[in-house]
Amino acid sequence: MFSNQQIETLPKHQTIQFQPLADNAIWHVQLNWLLFYVPLMAVIIAVRHFNPAVSEAIATPWLLVLPLLVILSMVYNLYSVRAKGVAVREHDIAFKRGLIWQQITLLPISRVQHTEIHRGPIERKLGLATLRLYSAGGMSADLHISGLTDEQCNDVRQFVQSYGDNAATQENELADE
Amino acid sequence: MSDQQWQRVSPWALLYFIVHFALRFIKDGLLNLLPILVLFVTQVEQKLFWGQIAVAVASLVLVLYAFAYYRNFKYRITDGHEILLNKGVFKKERLTLKFARVQNVNIAEPFYFQPVNLVNCIFDAAGSSAQEAVIPGVKLSYAEQVREQVMEFKAQLQQQEQLPVEQSEATDKPKTLTISNAEIAKFGLMSNMAILALAALAPFMNVIFEYLEKTIINRLEAILNEQAAFVGSAAAIAVLIMVVAIVLCAILLSVVMALVRFFNFQLYFQDDKFKRVAGLFERQQLSISVSKIQSVQIKQNIIARFLNRYTLICPQVSSGGMAAGVAAHKNKQTLVMPVITKEQVQAVCGWLFPWFVDLTELNFIKPERALLYKNTFLYVILPTVFSALIFNALFDAATMLWSIVVGLVLMTGVFLNYQKTGLAMYQHDGRFFAVFKTGMLGVQYRVFEIYKAQSVTTISTYLMRRSQLKSLYIQLASGSVSMPYLKAELAEQFADFALYEIEGVERNWF
Repeated sequence: MFSNQQIETLPKHQTIQFQPLADNAIWHVQLNWLLFYVPLMAVIIAVRHFNPAVSEAIATPWLLVLPLLVILSMVYNLYSVRAKGVAVREHDIAFKRGLIWQQITLLPISRVQHTEIHRGPIERKLGLATLRLYSAGGMSADLHISGLTDEQCNDVRQFVQSYGDNAATQENELADE
Repeated sequence: MSDQQWQRVSPWALLYFIVHFALRFIKDGLLNLLPILVLFVTQVEQKLFWGQIAVAVASLVLVLYAFAYYRNFKYRITDGHEILLNKGVFKKERLTLKFARVQNVNIAEPFYFQPVNLVNCIFDAAGSSAQEAVIPGVKLSYAEQVREQVMEFKAQLQQQEQLPVEQSEATDKPKTLTISNAEIAKFGLMSNMAILALAALAPFMNVIFEYLEKTIINRLEAILNEQAAFVGSAAAIAVLIMVVAIVLCAILLSVVMALVRFFNFQLYFQDDKFKRVAGLFERQQLSISVSKIQSVQIKQNIIARFLNRYTLICPQVSSGGMAAGVAAHKNKQTLVMPVITKEQVQAVCGWLFPWFVDLTELNFIKPERALLYKNTFLYVILPTVFSALIFNALFDAATMLWSIVVGLVLMTGVFLNYQKTGLAMYQHDGRFFAVFKTGMLGVQYRVFEIYKAQSVTTISTYLMRRSQLKSLYIQLASGSVSMPYLKAELAEQFADFALYEIEGVERNWF
């Protein structure tokens, strides 16, 4: 049967020092949020203004709920971005996220099938990028990290792409010693 | 055996092209022609005449296109270990498939090739149907030679690339497993194909019922009315008989579908390789190395439990794009043993995993009780209260008691699901395996060697963190497994150990 003697000596992922996202990451999240909710609020207000039936159904004080929701969401976003962190170790990449549902995903670099870097218009303005790392069998990216700088994304991609070569070089060095 | 010249396929391959393009037209093109079909049905007079003309023209175009495709189709297997295909009519295409990228070479014998002893040689690349290359209408001996050549090259490549994998005793006697067609028919009962058949009929149910009402139900009602005992309820009984008849038809259809897919099922195992031959109209040969199998699923649903049978599924890397589990199941490259006994499960899994023991004897780690409490609240208490409110609103207060029945049924489901969820690990000869168990009325085991995992995730909610609990989610190359509500320490240990295995084991995972 399985014995777990070795486990005590294993590197523990709980001790990983996660790096926070880029400083501008919070602006990216907030702007994305506002770009969706401000037009939505405008539509609700316009419909209420032009449609008497809706106007009767929704009393004016209820409209205050909309900006309140936006403010609460933006506060949530602030803490949510702070809770995210990424760490690149010798053989794997770790990503943590979530305030209520906390997730830590560990993706061994040897299992990365391909990488993608996306830069939307807001991200380009803020000097940010989104990194997606895919392994086999998943229906979407195993790691989807937005809020890194373009440089960080390229560094991680470079590291992932040269992983096989690095591992081989290290093995050779150890063999020489 | 390499062909330095471009080769043409046998003229019989024209049959393959006709069938292939006809099927593609039905699958992809028919939906696009739906607006024209609607116009035809609503606007055109003399439908029969113009319909015949349309079918004749379409058939002629199909045959001409298939002929042109056949004329342009050439293939070549080079010394540089490549399969080259020249194909296309309007858009000429050159497909180059390196031996190294070929996952499998399968040999299929469609029924229309049986009189002339020809087969289709199918090269599968990376589990994706879009990457599939087919040389149709070649001799069986030639297809087998090509397969041997590709597999030999891949074996050499693997030897060069990695440390020697443990050597199995070369040229064992082949082990075999044959499933009788009577057993295959049971798969028709066990599988969800009957439900799928009914679902396929669903959009036409109105039309079907209208037709049946006119032709059968009214007559049935008249006959039943003649019997004094049925007075008053004849119509209801007639409808009930029809519903039972439709369900029986769906089950029969499901049995037929199972027989078409798995007719005369034969499985051979030799030198760490499976070879499966099955199929009624098309004898599909599937070859798969043990090292390519990503995990093994042993399933027993409620009907299979009554029949005392299991289904064993060995998926390879799924191509992605759809939900991975679905992809793995539908993938032609998945080895499925549709209906086997417990002894056969033990035997086949014993070929794959020499350590394989009766899984019910394994010491499974169960989820913590907090999972039972959470599921009871979410899936029993909330729906029961909700159903009580609905009963009260729709009927009267007394009917609220029925919500107790709802609650009891849901509680049974939640409890059975809790009982059947588990995780076990097994070590054999320095190799580590994980067994994940899930189920409710049935049961499903997923067995895999830990180093084949792709990524590991731990998840915890606020309440779980307060109770020091975590759920574990493991992505495999053929779907995923999860184990909810483990002690946080255990979940973390498993994640660390899985990473250690993935990063430390140098054997090729696919």
